Amino acid sequence: MEFILEEGKHLHEECSTLILPALSIGNVGQLAIDLLVSSMGADRVGYLDDPFVLPCVGNDAYGSASRGDLALPLEAYDSPSNALSLIQQRSPLVKGKMVEFAKSLADFAISSRKNHVVVLSSLDAGRRKRIDMSSEMQIFYLSSTHKDGTDDHCEKMGWKRLQEYNPTERKWEFLNDLAEGKFIDEGNWPSEDELIDEDYYPSLPFAALFSCFKAKGLKVTCILCYCSEGDNVPDSFQLAEATCKLLGLSISNFHGKQGGGWLIPFSWTSLYGPPPDNSLF
Amino acid sequence: MEDVITDIPPPSRFFNEDLNNFALPSPALPSPFFVFSKPDSNFPLRPSLLVVAISPPSIYLLHHCIPSKTLIGTLILPEISFSGNPIEPSHRSKSCDIYASIDDPAILFMSVQLPVAGERAYAVAKLIIDEGEIRPERVLILDSVQSRNFRGNLSADEMLVFKLETSSTSGQQMVCGVGWFPSGSMVDGLGAALLTRCQMRRIQGTLCVSWPECGPSAVALVKSLLDNSVLSKLDVRAFDGDCDVGFDRIKDSELYA
Repeated sequence: MEFILEEGKHLHEECSTLILPALSIGNVGQLAIDLLVSSMGADRVGYLDDPFVLPCVGNDAYGSASRGDLALPLEAYDSPSNALSLIQQRSPLVKGKMVEFAKSLADFAISSRKNHVVVLSSLDAGRRKRIDMSSEMQIFYLSSTHKDGTDDHCEKMGWKRLQEYNPTERKWEFLNDLAEGKFIDEGNWPSEDELIDEDYYPSLPFAALFSCFKAKGLKVTCILCYCSEGDNVPDSFQLAEATCKLLGLSISNFHGKQGGGWLIPFSWTSLYGPPPDNSLF
Repeated sequence: MEDVITDIPPPSRFFNEDLNNFALPSPALPSPFFVFSKPDSNFPLRPSLLVVAISPPSIYLLHHCIPSKTLIGTLILPEISFSGNPIEPSHRSKSCDIYASIDDPAILFMSVQLPVAGERAYAVAKLIIDEGEIRPERVLILDSVQSRNFRGNLSADEMLVFKLETSSTSGQQMVCGVGWFPSGSMVDGLGAALLTRCQMRRIQGTLCVSWPECGPSAVALVKSLLDNSVLSKLDVRAFDGDCDVGFDRIKDSELYA
């Protein structure tokens, strides 16, 4: 993975926290990053060139002026006023390359001197084993602070540690070994037929990112929410608000919009396709 | 009626393998490479303009309306079989041939007539733009609007053309009278990989996507695009409106060699 600085731009050393999405159901992490970049008025400082990210291009996702600024698959933004960097990922990865990609991102975070990484991801609501009355808007998390994945600050905010995280369970251990670069015999690689229910969470991209950042000694917090496929905009707001809460950011101070507050990215006007053909009616 | 249980999910949603850390990667493929008719030429070639035709109408136009060109080489993807290809270059053969313009030898054309998988597009783009025997100063890519990635209305009887440009192209437009690709829609595949490569290497690059994807009207649209572009001084013959630019996916399948 190569970081390419945009012409005339530079990295801001004060941006010591990195926020990035994990590919997940409903693209919620990516939508949340869109919302944060747009609302903070974060400035694109460069691109990440990685052979495992499938290619895509588009027009500027945030500005309504539609000046033709290219949107690329993996972009880096800085918001110096919030001491944050953000990465947006717009396309999936080549099959089977998630762990390698996560390792490369971890190397980038180290080389750009980040000391905290926040990963945003959704989880499939169909996989939940326990639902209670208060769980609809419940935020879950996973942290590198303690070995069991807990973090006191997250607990105080009423978040729940992902109960399915068990670092001694086989797939979490296997993922940890991969992240630490330990040699894995091809014969020990799990076949897709062997995967059982408990393997679902460690198989998800957020788990690879968590393991790889942790293996590099970085503090990492995964912010998670359950959702189903559909209109996932409300879920993205939930994750973005949780991110601000974690980092002590005030939405009213965001610079993307006069007077602060959330600024919907311009590209979201066509998020679910064009409006219906009125001639039908 | 669509079967929501078994139908392939819409393109903006993930397949299971996209979200599986333990999915096994596909076997590694040999790298793509160029073969040139004059291997002792002075490499790398540095054309002032490289035109990459990816869409069927642009490929047809290149073969039938730009006669003043010489075949100088080809790009090989080792995983693609050439069985069934005719001896003479044709817009229907499975190949990726490179031509030099006779009118202006500083212009090269590339006709991408073989399927470049998304996973391969990065390597192919890298070879074409900055790691192979060609180092273009400017790149013009002719592709089609992809209905699966387009968030606006696409009607079969409506003609559309949009562009995306690298920041290095600002103020030095390669095509005139073409609006920006709308925000919220995306282009993927080789065309996207090429433009991305141009952006990262600070090369002037323009990607034009047109609609419809096939048929005489599509060819005429691309012809008018070229008439208002950096190629306007080239001998581009009139298109007589009669062509066999189909969109026959079955024939493109590797099952039908």
